[in-house]
Amino acid sequence: MARSIGALAAIAILVGAAGCGGGFSDEGSAGGPTGEVRMLVNITPNLTKGYWEELVKPFEEANPGVDVKIEAPTGQGVKDTLPQLLAAGNAPDVVETLMADKTLAPQMLELTDQAWTKDTPLVEQAALDSKVYTVGVGQQAQSLVFYNKEAFAKAGISEPPKNLDELTAAMGKLKTAGYLPLQTAGDYVTGLQLLQLSDPSIATKHPDWYQQVNSKQLSVGQTMLPLLQRYESWIENGYVDKNALGLDDVNAQTSFLTGKSAMYIMGSWFVRTAESQKPTFDLGVFAAPTEAGQPYPGPQGVTMAAPYMVLKSTKQRDLAVKLVEWLVSDQEAVQSQLAQDGNFRKGFTDKLTPLGKQVQDILDQAPKHVAQGEGYGANTLPQGFNGEWNKAVQSLYTGKSAPDVAKRIDSWMGSKS
Amino acid sequence: MSTPAAAARLRDRLTTASMVGPALLLFVVMLVVPVGLSIYLSLTDWNGYSANPAIVGLQNYLDLARSEEAIRAGWVTLLIAAVGTVLLSVLGLGFALLVNGASRLNAFFRVVLFYPHVLSALVVGFLWSAVLGTSGVVNGFLTSKGAEVLPFLSNPNWALASLIGVLVWAGFGVNVVLYLAGLQTVSRDLLEAARIDGASPRQTFLNVTLPALAPVVTVNLVLSLVTLLKTYDLVVSLTGGGPAGSTQTAAYLILWDSFHNNALGFGSAQSVVLMLVTAGLALTVARLRSRVDQGVKA
Repeated sequence: MARSIGALAAIAILVGAAGCGGGFSDEGSAGGPTGEVRMLVNITPNLTKGYWEELVKPFEEANPGVDVKIEAPTGQGVKDTLPQLLAAGNAPDVVETLMADKTLAPQMLELTDQAWTKDTPLVEQAALDSKVYTVGVGQQAQSLVFYNKEAFAKAGISEPPKNLDELTAAMGKLKTAGYLPLQTAGDYVTGLQLLQLSDPSIATKHPDWYQQVNSKQLSVGQTMLPLLQRYESWIENGYVDKNALGLDDVNAQTSFLTGKSAMYIMGSWFVRTAESQKPTFDLGVFAAPTEAGQPYPGPQGVTMAAPYMVLKSTKQRDLAVKLVEWLVSDQEAVQSQLAQDGNFRKGFTDKLTPLGKQVQDILDQAPKHVAQGEGYGANTLPQGFNGEWNKAVQSLYTGKSAPDVAKRIDSWMGSKS
Repeated sequence: MSTPAAAARLRDRLTTASMVGPALLLFVVMLVVPVGLSIYLSLTDWNGYSANPAIVGLQNYLDLARSEEAIRAGWVTLLIAAVGTVLLSVLGLGFALLVNGASRLNAFFRVVLFYPHVLSALVVGFLWSAVLGTSGVVNGFLTSKGAEVLPFLSNPNWALASLIGVLVWAGFGVNVVLYLAGLQTVSRDLLEAARIDGASPRQTFLNVTLPALAPVVTVNLVLSLVTLLKTYDLVVSLTGGGPAGSTQTAAYLILWDSFHNNALGFGSAQSVVLMLVTAGLALTVARLRSRVDQGVKA
């Protein structure tokens, strides 16, 4: 019993520390020219702790007496580790992965007056009320469909579909040719794929979708319903595996890259994964189709790659800002980060692989770059939207109808207003 | 003016205080303060970052009462706790009876039975997801034989059953150990008397062994119930709360709402309710079992 109470009150322990710490109003201080800068980073199979330590070595060498301490999340990720560190009065100086929103911004240093931020990708789109808190290394293209060119040829599909009707028709042909038309998975993949697919058509039809949803002129369910109905028909027709929710992302990728399925909707970071696994077939990529009648290619969903923020409470403000500037501006540091995690940035195209070049072309040809899901900057939905959307979309596999899903997501949005 | 007796009493009190003090301090710091803070936070809108959370009264509790997701997670947790507790107790006792005896083979099997409990729940979850997943070992075998894929983790009911099964697999080693310890306390004289009186093994078990194990059964039930009510890490690694949120437990949802949705006030309200439910259920089971224990003694 005692153990149970202790476990159940774990969150409160963190809070207690926060209370003792006296809040986060501390503005920090400029600090000296030397010392330690702590950076909390995301750790993934691509971005190992060793990689991060190697990345910042040139910065340390160029700034004798400066030690950049890389810190891995202690929780499930940066998102749940940062509040714990803040609560414990042990916040890092720099945080990678998260982007400022209305909750985080008060804890972050405003970088609006830093001239170098203006040359960084998506900086204006990520600004909150025209204030810059987050700067990034590059862009991640979101609305991409990777495809098996051999499967398409075998199914008699001469060119990638440009609209969703053509996409559905192509799925029918691919199924007839013996392929699982679209690879998906459980975990976060199900909802993410549908968001990625929705970006071009939603942004074309409703250029101010976020604002209209937030002002209740539109509802998420209402605007997403046609796509949900289409997805429901794909499940019914066997265009996606009805047992896909029992797969994780790695298994899904393996299934696609070993030629069992013909298409995989995913962001540009998949380029690196795909190339490292060396598929035996010719792998291509096309921009997510739009609704019939809309121009193609449509707006491309993009997110900031490797976003950095400096915490307001830092005691090494000058060094922390200098480090972040170096991370997002130094040619070699930027090139390294782009290559390591499959990200893109204008002016850094020399070392792109053929598949990477196709993605860069898609980014360049898109008429507009738009936010996706929870979004960022002026285009945001309530926190937790992506997770709730994912669960709602998954319920299409467990017997719910498209209108049920639309109603569920609208009900959730209503509860957050 | 102090007498030698008064000085001795003072010494005794100081000794007692010096022995009890550290434990009491730990108890207060590690349990009383966090629980108090948790209750306080449950009355606020704290998002995990703001310096001055606003007091919102019972709003978080009202939201909790209206949250279909939280209510569903509550029922899922209770189902896991009820079914899991029964399975852990029955299987624990069954296997304890099988390996009760001093032989090298029994010692080996005891180690094997306890081994899953030594593994991290996260490791256990990832291991079983590799076995039960759509492209896992079992389904790989089935499809190679031309059979249909079984939806262990992709169908809500199957996923819940899989989760309970893995929880039981990972946890019942402890129950085996507890029952084995209990079996050592069963009076040899009574067992011998039953044998001489011509009782069958079944009669001996039901009328001698099982009543003697009554206190151990109580401990097993309460421990299993409390452990299962806070199931979290296996959900993360085996099902991720899916499909479609169908295997989210109360503890999983607390962490999800607290950190994923930055709603620590709401998460704290869920923690307080879970704590009260856990305490209530554990006390009820203990009370009911104590009546049984009293009956056995009588």
